[in-house]
Amino acid sequence: MRLASNSSQQRIITTTMALLFLSCIAVGAGEGGGPGYSFGDSKGKNDSCMACHSNQATVGARNYIDPKKFGHTTHSKFGCTTCHDAVSSSHPDGKAVSMTTSCRDCHPDIIEQYSQNFHARLAPCSGCHNPHRVFRPEEISGDELNRQCGNCHKKDKIASSHSRWLPQAGLHLGSIACVTCHSKAQDYVITIYIGKRYGTTEEKLAPAGYEELSRLAAGESLQPLIDSNRDNYISITELQQFNRNPANKEFFLKGMLTPIKPTHSFQTFDNRWDCTFCHASGPQIMQTSFVAFPERNGTYRQVPVEKGAVLGALQTIPNFYLMGSTRNSTMNKIGLLIIAGGMIMPAGHGFLRFLTRKNRK
Amino acid sequence: MSNHKIYLQPVPVRIWHWLNALGIITLALTGAQIRYPEYVSIFATYRTAITLHNTAGIVVALSFSFWFFYYKIVAGTMANIYVPKTDDLTRGLFRQAIFYFLSYFFGAPNPHHAKPDDKFNPLQKSAYLAIMFVIMPLVSLTGIFLMNVEPLRELVLVIGGLKILMGLHFLLACTLTAFLFTHVYLATLGKTPLAYLKPMWTGWEEEEDKVDEVQVNDNVPPHTA
Repeated sequence: MRLASNSSQQRIITTTMALLFLSCIAVGAGEGGGPGYSFGDSKGKNDSCMACHSNQATVGARNYIDPKKFGHTTHSKFGCTTCHDAVSSSHPDGKAVSMTTSCRDCHPDIIEQYSQNFHARLAPCSGCHNPHRVFRPEEISGDELNRQCGNCHKKDKIASSHSRWLPQAGLHLGSIACVTCHSKAQDYVITIYIGKRYGTTEEKLAPAGYEELSRLAAGESLQPLIDSNRDNYISITELQQFNRNPANKEFFLKGMLTPIKPTHSFQTFDNRWDCTFCHASGPQIMQTSFVAFPERNGTYRQVPVEKGAVLGALQTIPNFYLMGSTRNSTMNKIGLLIIAGGMIMPAGHGFLRFLTRKNRK
Repeated sequence: MSNHKIYLQPVPVRIWHWLNALGIITLALTGAQIRYPEYVSIFATYRTAITLHNTAGIVVALSFSFWFFYYKIVAGTMANIYVPKTDDLTRGLFRQAIFYFLSYFFGAPNPHHAKPDDKFNPLQKSAYLAIMFVIMPLVSLTGIFLMNVEPLRELVLVIGGLKILMGLHFLLACTLTAFLFTHVYLATLGKTPLAYLKPMWTGWEEEEDKVDEVQVNDNVPPHTA
């Protein structure tokens, strides 16, 4: 987070102006934001800036803004000058463009929450979030969430620190979003991605990208790869069909435990050291899952999956198993029957043995 | 009536048996806690259960290898002891089943007499053949896969996925647990409830109505072990 360097009076005036500006957008525009509130759209607001900044060759990698990704952000709807409010008339003149706005102006609650913990002293907002491609939690893959952490927390160090206490640490780190344990999120879902079966370790860990899946879908929309009847709802049968389809042999469904709403309260909570935080949630809780499809603009779109898919015994999501939590009830019954079968013989035979004990004296 | 003692269980077999027993009981209890943590909390933490399960699994897999090496290479009696012969299959199985489920209740003697190179009756042979040559290797193998999911990811996918692997491991483990109940119960069907258990501890089995006592030490030639 970058704080304004001007006097507090100037900051109050600037903040008030920014809020007035946003209020005008909210009243005047028609595109939906939150209920009863609208951010408008980005049409015409960014064109003059993006004429240069969408061209990497012109502005360089540091100042390049991916138009597809930026266009999807809520920030783009405010217009560049809402944040970059101190652009001089001589721009571009090679000088750094100062800003009098800050993240706090629009996100005071998050800043308040974030500033409560140690993490805030080490990383500003921009350490994790690039405001030109910041998306809603459900639009980012778990792998991408983890890569944000990986910008500072080096992978080998994370692996070695977790290996000291966590069995199969590598497997855990690839199947759980870091913020599942390291933020005070409350509820979790299983997010299913289409993973690649072949490639380097890094490639296998990351979900398959839009381009690859687009080839699999022969240029068509990706969702029907699984949602064959295109009803925006993925049934267990559709998941099974995807798994059985030989055309998909280079891909597989991989699940990740992700928080529904990550918070900015970053710390390691005591109960996360207890494996039963995840492993004893039980089949009833492990009912909600989504398949996340990559979009052309780099985001993901979640499509809800039929309840209980994660608990499917074999062919539903064959490669996601959270011990204890995703046990299958049919398997439980078969196992119980087998064990009961082993007890019947001693019980029945033992009973007759007791009744006929005199014959063996 | 005097006792005829035969040296039925050499030291390596006894070590393997009790190591295996301890390992399998540990695996069953920790496995129950791992799968049903809401209902089973025998061990202090879930992680303890996992660590113990993995350790016991390795011990059982190693003891299985030890068992195989001993019977196949050292004693050379594996086929004779574990593989049913034609007579076992055509008549022995039926004869032994009749004993267990009928004539035993009328006080008839066991038609099979254990000898060092022919320890098991036809029913035991068939059961142990399935347990030791199918279920134990498969449960160990699936366990090894489950302990190394990440490095063996491709193989896991070839098998059909983690769920199939887990389901297989679970059902095989249930089969072993089921066998454990029957195994322990059948071990009490000797002249006295501990008669069959004792040789697995001391090595010696007592046979009634025999005069001589045959002493055979632990260095018996392989074919008699």
